Amino acid sequence: MIGFSPFRIVAFAVLLLILVVGGTAIIEQLLRFGSMVAALFFASTMGFESGSNSSKAAGELMLKFAPVCTGTTYVVLTVIVMLVLTRWMRTSIQNRGNFLRTMFLYESLIIGSAIVLFPFFWMLATSFKPQGTELIMKSNPFDVIPDEPTITNFKKVLKLDAPPPGETGSEISPTTVENQKNFGTFFKNSLIISTIAAFFVTLFSAMGGYVFAKKELPYKKTLFAFFMGTMMIPGMMYMVPQFFIICKLGLFGTRWAMFLPHLASVFGVFMFKQFMDTIPTSLIEAARIDGASEYQVFRVLIIPLSMPIALTLFLLTFLFHWSNFLWQLIVTDFEAPLSITLPVGLALFKGQYSMDLSLIMSASCFSIVPIVVLFLFAQRYFIEGMTSGAVKE
Amino acid sequence: MRTSPSSAETRSSLKFLSPFLFFFVLFLLFPIFYSLYLSFFDASEGFGLSNLKWVGFSNYVQILGFHFQDGSIKLNDPAFWWSLVVTALYGGISIPLGIFASLGLALLLHNKLFGKNFFRSAFFLPNILDMLVVATIWASIYAPQYGFLAVLTKNFLGENQFFFKEGMLANPYTALPAVILAMVLKGAGFGMVLFLAALQNIPDSVYEAADIDGASKFQQFWLITLPLLRPIIFFMFITGIIGSLNAFSEIYAMTSGGPQIVLGEETLGSTTVSGFYLYQQFESGQYGYAAAISYVLLMVTVILTWIQQRFFPAESH
Repeated sequence: MIGFSPFRIVAFAVLLLILVVGGTAIIEQLLRFGSMVAALFFASTMGFESGSNSSKAAGELMLKFAPVCTGTTYVVLTVIVMLVLTRWMRTSIQNRGNFLRTMFLYESLIIGSAIVLFPFFWMLATSFKPQGTELIMKSNPFDVIPDEPTITNFKKVLKLDAPPPGETGSEISPTTVENQKNFGTFFKNSLIISTIAAFFVTLFSAMGGYVFAKKELPYKKTLFAFFMGTMMIPGMMYMVPQFFIICKLGLFGTRWAMFLPHLASVFGVFMFKQFMDTIPTSLIEAARIDGASEYQVFRVLIIPLSMPIALTLFLLTFLFHWSNFLWQLIVTDFEAPLSITLPVGLALFKGQYSMDLSLIMSASCFSIVPIVVLFLFAQRYFIEGMTSGAVKE
Repeated sequence: MRTSPSSAETRSSLKFLSPFLFFFVLFLLFPIFYSLYLSFFDASEGFGLSNLKWVGFSNYVQILGFHFQDGSIKLNDPAFWWSLVVTALYGGISIPLGIFASLGLALLLHNKLFGKNFFRSAFFLPNILDMLVVATIWASIYAPQYGFLAVLTKNFLGENQFFFKEGMLANPYTALPAVILAMVLKGAGFGMVLFLAALQNIPDSVYEAADIDGASKFQQFWLITLPLLRPIIFFMFITGIIGSLNAFSEIYAMTSGGPQIVLGEETLGSTTVSGFYLYQQFESGQYGYAAAISYVLLMVTVILTWIQQRFFPAESH
């Protein structure tokens, strides 16, 4: 019979200590972030126009919110600690090993996800920092939330802060090419390119996958194996020749150049073939007997049945083009704002404002935040799609 | 006996396949040969596609060859060989670390837990975000003087040389590990989901049988779990190798190939992986040379694939 075990008491105390310290940091930062967003919102509705004033007002509001944040943190933490303590007391001595194991599991998972997600939280928090305050030290080293938040950075990144046209002394007029090089334009370009590419890749892959899954073609299996083989070639390999082809076609610096070379997706054909293999052939035969043409079979039967995989491939291709930095970099004409996409725009921007951390972080938000929101709604498709290659191979 | 398809069926098949086939041939198949053709040329003077000059095999001689000087062997292009070494280091450290981290996470999550899906999504999320942007954020975290690590350590260590004055990315010995750390944290969720799916497919009865036979938990992990996870580990090795050969955005955003390190008589970029070296050659207008490098890299891939098929045949499908 196991009686009093000093080891378990010590382990429990250590885990409890980690819970208190880590919990305080995480909960307080999240609450402070929430209070910052609320303060910015109220400050802007209170009608402050100029950037510095509204950031002062937001700062004052945040000071008022601060005791609420701290108070809530301690209340929540006390409740959690009390719950853990009562559970511990109620757990029989034999089961306390299991209890410690569960506690360890949760704590490592929470701390692990906090570490993995921290860069993005830090990006968000820093993007609201007024320029020049990045260096300010705080008593709590983990406190990354600005004291006087501002949205000036976002205005700068969108180049909304340029003086109105005709004003004396204004170097940049809003209509110039230079002023069009803002993250609004980059975002629009990335969105257009990624959406068009994703649509056509999905369509072409569905058509190709249909042939390999359900139709006849001489040397079909050999052809498919050949396509699969080319998947092993690193994408880097294609950089030089594809660049030459694009230049010879006279497409350098256009939006077409950004996605045309990637319209044939072997992975997409593979995914559609795998999925369409599971569609019963008798369905297609029945449709043919009813007089459906090849096009009708594909349009009315195959496409609706393959919708889940089509959506998955659409999202994955969208992501691929959203972050296809190297290719977009080499075919970008930096004089033409219409061809600059988000990642290329960020690289350009980073070269110009390398010391302005808060500006770079607010520019990064344009790429990260939409994808995070998309992920929240469609995570099943992302996770299943990205891992399907490994599971089914 | 397989009946050969009717010509009408073949025509309709080709019609469905044609858009894919068109772009495949133009942008994926033709470039493989076009690249070989280009690798026999060199830019004679300055930029421009038109002033390419036929140089035969001299690009390959320059990349792979060596010459004798003062009685010792000198490589013609030590920077290329160095970039292969850096790539091997990058892959050799990040792949095992990534497998280790994602397996650890999967083992943690492979329990009856409240909020399991939340953790799964949280760890997976960084995978889908733009590599360049994530690397930019990490570069800012490592940045000297105002980066997160600099500000954090200033509280404990004062204005220390390592994090505050120089920053991890400016030190030739810590730049590559810093990049690897960021990339492992970004990628761990992907392997975790794969391992988790595989772990869930192992039937409980296997472990029950092992329990009856008196196997310890460690033995069960070592002798049952790990062998059953081998296909996933293998898959992660393969994708990791391709990923290392393709590595570019993270290097571009975090170190731009630097900081410089002096080895013997050569000054080399301590994080110049082969993909970045290829880009540097391309960027400086050496199109033919870049094409030749990409062909050599393709050969490296072919050799690695051959080794894989030769020595791990069971898992190669």
